[in-house]
Amino acid sequence: MFKRQKSLASERKRGLFSQGATRSLWKNDMRNFQYLSQFVLSAGPLKLFPGVRHSKTTHFEIEILDAQTRKQICIVDKVTQTSTIHDVKQKFHKAYPKWYPSRVGLQLECGGPFLKDYITIQSVAASSIITLYFTDLGQQVSWITVFLAEFTGPLLIYLLFYLRIPCIYDVKESSRRLRHPVVHLACFFHCMHYIRYLLETLFVHKVSAGHTSLKNLLKGCAFYWGFTSWIAYYINHPWYTPPAFGNRQVTVSAISFLICEAGNHFINVMLSHPYHTGNNACFPSPNYNPFSWMFFLVSCPNYTYEIGSWISFTVMTQTLPVGIFTLLMSIQMSLWARKKHKIYLKKFNSYMHRKSAMIPFIL
Amino acid sequence: MGIVPSSVVLTSFQVISRVFMIWAVTHSVKEVQSEDSVLLFVVAWTLTEIVRYSFYTFSLLNHLPYLIKWARYTLFIVLYPMGVSGELLTMYAALPFVRQAGLYSISLPNKYNFSFDYYAFLILVMISYIPIFPQLYFHMIHQRRKILFYTEEHKKFE
Repeated sequence: MFKRQKSLASERKRGLFSQGATRSLWKNDMRNFQYLSQFVLSAGPLKLFPGVRHSKTTHFEIEILDAQTRKQICIVDKVTQTSTIHDVKQKFHKAYPKWYPSRVGLQLECGGPFLKDYITIQSVAASSIITLYFTDLGQQVSWITVFLAEFTGPLLIYLLFYLRIPCIYDVKESSRRLRHPVVHLACFFHCMHYIRYLLETLFVHKVSAGHTSLKNLLKGCAFYWGFTSWIAYYINHPWYTPPAFGNRQVTVSAISFLICEAGNHFINVMLSHPYHTGNNACFPSPNYNPFSWMFFLVSCPNYTYEIGSWISFTVMTQTLPVGIFTLLMSIQMSLWARKKHKIYLKKFNSYMHRKSAMIPFIL
Repeated sequence: MGIVPSSVVLTSFQVISRVFMIWAVTHSVKEVQSEDSVLLFVVAWTLTEIVRYSFYTFSLLNHLPYLIKWARYTLFIVLYPMGVSGELLTMYAALPFVRQAGLYSISLPNKYNFSFDYYAFLILVMISYIPIFPQLYFHMIHQRRKILFYTEEHKKFE
């Protein structure tokens, strides 16, 4: 009998859903009712509420326990079948204003994966009473803040070193005006690189309004700022040794740096407007732009171009710390590219076989 | 390898720090090898390892005497600080010799625009003991409380 009730309710809902306009209104109505009902003591069944058309709809009750102490925090009831984890988090936030939705981590079992926001309650429900475990994910910051902090830092730090602040370098040595043009060029390219990153973060990238914990912000900033100080120290040092092959080495690597930067920029623009290029819904395909022809060979050309830029920068300045930075970035990016490549292979099986993840023919 | 229930990160950290201690400090700076601090940390490591590996062996044979378990989770209270002091004293003793010989150090200017000062590096390592040691020590004490006391309580209720 229980099952019959459920199927009746879902049939009625399906009928409603066929009319698109009324759907959102109905959902809002239901949500308002749910908020009201939650503030009323949750014990009493509110079946006689006027205006509720589907009094026979099965509602879920979600019991939220603390993941570490297993103690019950609260019960969220009157949750409809179509609600998502995000709705549950919103209600939880209403009851406990301290835990805003992005800070809440809900798991089905202790130690299991955190449930994503778009997952519906119905897909994880085994019965009409569900137990979820709550973990505090810590102070959250948005990804945009993280990127802005990570990229503004290197920009300013490199300039500090370039301007040869007295407390970093010996004043007598640094007052000699003989600086090799490579040093000026390196500063210009470095600043251009990070200004481009900042502008892309603000205007190009469609970063999903996700959040990450404060720890990630600190780790990312420490990595970028630390390495930038390290490489800026050596490049702007009074005892800097210019590249061994002289102007030829500098010119060739400068040109390749510019090519890779342009390539990276165009790929990022293409990735953020996926519906304009190519037949496939989510994967851009090469067009008239020669930089996009990298898509024939790799599935993540933005990482390819970025590694290319950094390798060019290393060769141009002939500085080992820059090489170490490039190596670490390459390792990190190859891990990301591999992950993305796997996702692409699963989604678009047809024409991906000849492509590699990041470096043509190798990786 | 999954044979022993130990965290890979913590164990590899310990292995790296011990290898560093032996190769990069004690072996490289010959003058330090006659110091008492070397004896201190070698004895501490030896005793700890004897107890630890007997613990693992007996656990795998499912025949763990309580004495070994007690020893593993109690002796560290003395042996761990002993080992750490031995290591720090050895590093401190090695410092003047490193400075004198310019051991493992590169200075500017050079073709690859890189410099490394082993003296400063050793000092940094010594300073890093300050945040890391309390964390590991209290982690072990927490483990001790969990394993020596809570399992007894559970046994009582069975």
